[in-house]
Amino acid sequence: MSVKPVVGGRPVVHFALVIAALAGLMLVAGALDAALAQGGPFGAPRAQAPAPPMGGVLGWIFAKQAEFYRQFSSLIRAAKADGSVAWGLFGLSFLYGVFHAAGPGHGKAVISSYMVANEETWVRGVVLSFASALLQALVAVVLVGIAAALLNATAATMKRAVDLIEILSYSLIILIGVRLLWVKGRVFLTTLRALHRPAAVGAAVTPAHSLHGLGHHDHQHDHAHDHAHAHGHGHAHADHDHDHHQHCDGHAQDHAHHHHDHDDHASAWGHAHAPEPEELAGPGGWKRGLSAIVAVGLRPCSGAILVLVFALAQGLFWTGVVSTFIMGLGTAITVAAIATIAVFAKSWAKRFADTRSGYGMLVMRGIEAGAALVIIGFGVLLLTGYMVSERMVGL
Amino acid sequence: MIYRFCLSVLAVLVGAAITGGAASAHPHVWITVKSELVYAPDGSVTGVRHAWTFDDMFSVFALQGLDSKKKGEYTREELAPLADVNVTSLKEYDFFTYAKANGGKLEFNDPQAGYYLDYNTKESVLTLFFTLPLKAPVKAKDLSLEVYDREYFVDFSFAEKDPVKLVGAPAQCKLSVARPQEMSAALSQQLSQLGPNQRDPSLTVGAEFANKILVKCP
Repeated sequence: MSVKPVVGGRPVVHFALVIAALAGLMLVAGALDAALAQGGPFGAPRAQAPAPPMGGVLGWIFAKQAEFYRQFSSLIRAAKADGSVAWGLFGLSFLYGVFHAAGPGHGKAVISSYMVANEETWVRGVVLSFASALLQALVAVVLVGIAAALLNATAATMKRAVDLIEILSYSLIILIGVRLLWVKGRVFLTTLRALHRPAAVGAAVTPAHSLHGLGHHDHQHDHAHDHAHAHGHGHAHADHDHDHHQHCDGHAQDHAHHHHDHDDHASAWGHAHAPEPEELAGPGGWKRGLSAIVAVGLRPCSGAILVLVFALAQGLFWTGVVSTFIMGLGTAITVAAIATIAVFAKSWAKRFADTRSGYGMLVMRGIEAGAALVIIGFGVLLLTGYMVSERMVGL
Repeated sequence: MIYRFCLSVLAVLVGAAITGGAASAHPHVWITVKSELVYAPDGSVTGVRHAWTFDDMFSVFALQGLDSKKKGEYTREELAPLADVNVTSLKEYDFFTYAKANGGKLEFNDPQAGYYLDYNTKESVLTLFFTLPLKAPVKAKDLSLEVYDREYFVDFSFAEKDPVKLVGAPAQCKLSVARPQEMSAALSQQLSQLGPNQRDPSLTVGAEFANKILVKCP
């Protein structure tokens, strides 16, 4: 059952190999994507849409988006004279939404990483995607409705508002990532330590490994109370770690990924631990996803704002509102599909990991901690402006 | 071995998410460019005079909340504050204007006073007029000027008619304009034959897509 080699140095070597493989694959994936973007069957520019600076699948997506987007203004104008044109506008909004989300944007990336970092079900992924996309549409409508329609504010004022929202949104993403890393990173380290000290852990470990699923629960309830409560949720991280060390020797990986009693603290911003899927249906489970919805959905699409303002100027604000929500629907479908793929990829990986006890667990925890890191990375890149997902040009 | 394969699946997902996110947005602003290269009597280039026309959706957005005496019409004076905002924010992006002479990069100063915006009521589009002076006028045998947005948030294209003029240039100077639309059938054919992981070093696709002015003087 136990794959753990008893020889001292081996696990470290294995671990290093796994990490190296992961890093290498990430690089390859990145390079592949970049290469795809360079040349491909779609390299040729279309007559209508302006040629994007790249070919490949992404280039095609860009070209399509641009093509759809370019038709908005003429359709809105036409809808002014002939109301039935609005249906065409709504159809176009839907397509634009689908393609817009398939292109770059922090929404799907953050949600997918969030799904990987947590033990999430695909249903929750779909709900998160729809909720965040609809929130995004709502923010755009409320912003333009209040600023432009009611207060007749200038474009520059709206830009400042969006900039503020943006900072808030990206900071929230970082917070969620840090929160997840704090929990998942600790779990990962504990798992690692447990693997490193097979002798010290002794008999206690073996049952935990073999009774992966159910057996766990019994264990964790015994231990969780001692530790988790004691450490509390303050920021005495340093002390915390030490405590942990000592306990770990005794209990191995049991309390590694179960701090059930943390539930209440965690729910406010990002979900703290890795609950079993069935727990997610509970009231706390949905509440935990709220932080992700808000973080991702807070920042409105520049495209939606432009469409809304343009529609307002044509005296068709409500047509613009409907169009914005339909755009959100299209976006949600794409993001939900990507989040679902992420969830299934992870559960697939988990199936194999489960058959390999010790290292399988370690790898899974490593992936979760890694996904938390990715979320932080996104947040930092977005906040510092190094990565631009959307820009409001104050031209 | 098996779970290493699974890892690769996850890694690809994460990698795709990262590169996807790092790539730029699709354009939200379209600008039609007309430019003039201005020469001094001694034959050196002193600067670039731009006239940029924004698309109607962005123009209407930019005009939001702006007061005007006559509804739907805006005078140069009424648009002056907006022109200030334009020029100030364009500074952040180096005015999307990149020039090279005799192989070296040229530096521009901030636009001269006298920049302004015009509003075309019929097409409801704004046009920004501004002049970028070179830090140091230069006599160039080979001069190239490009207008593009690296992040592709703004889509630049040269006007169909008379996109570029040389003002006061020596008579022998020859001007050529490369547009992004002008990627040859041969090039696209070549591109489509490349495998997804291949890159042909002889192709400089990025440059092919840019709006480029070339001026050769003897």
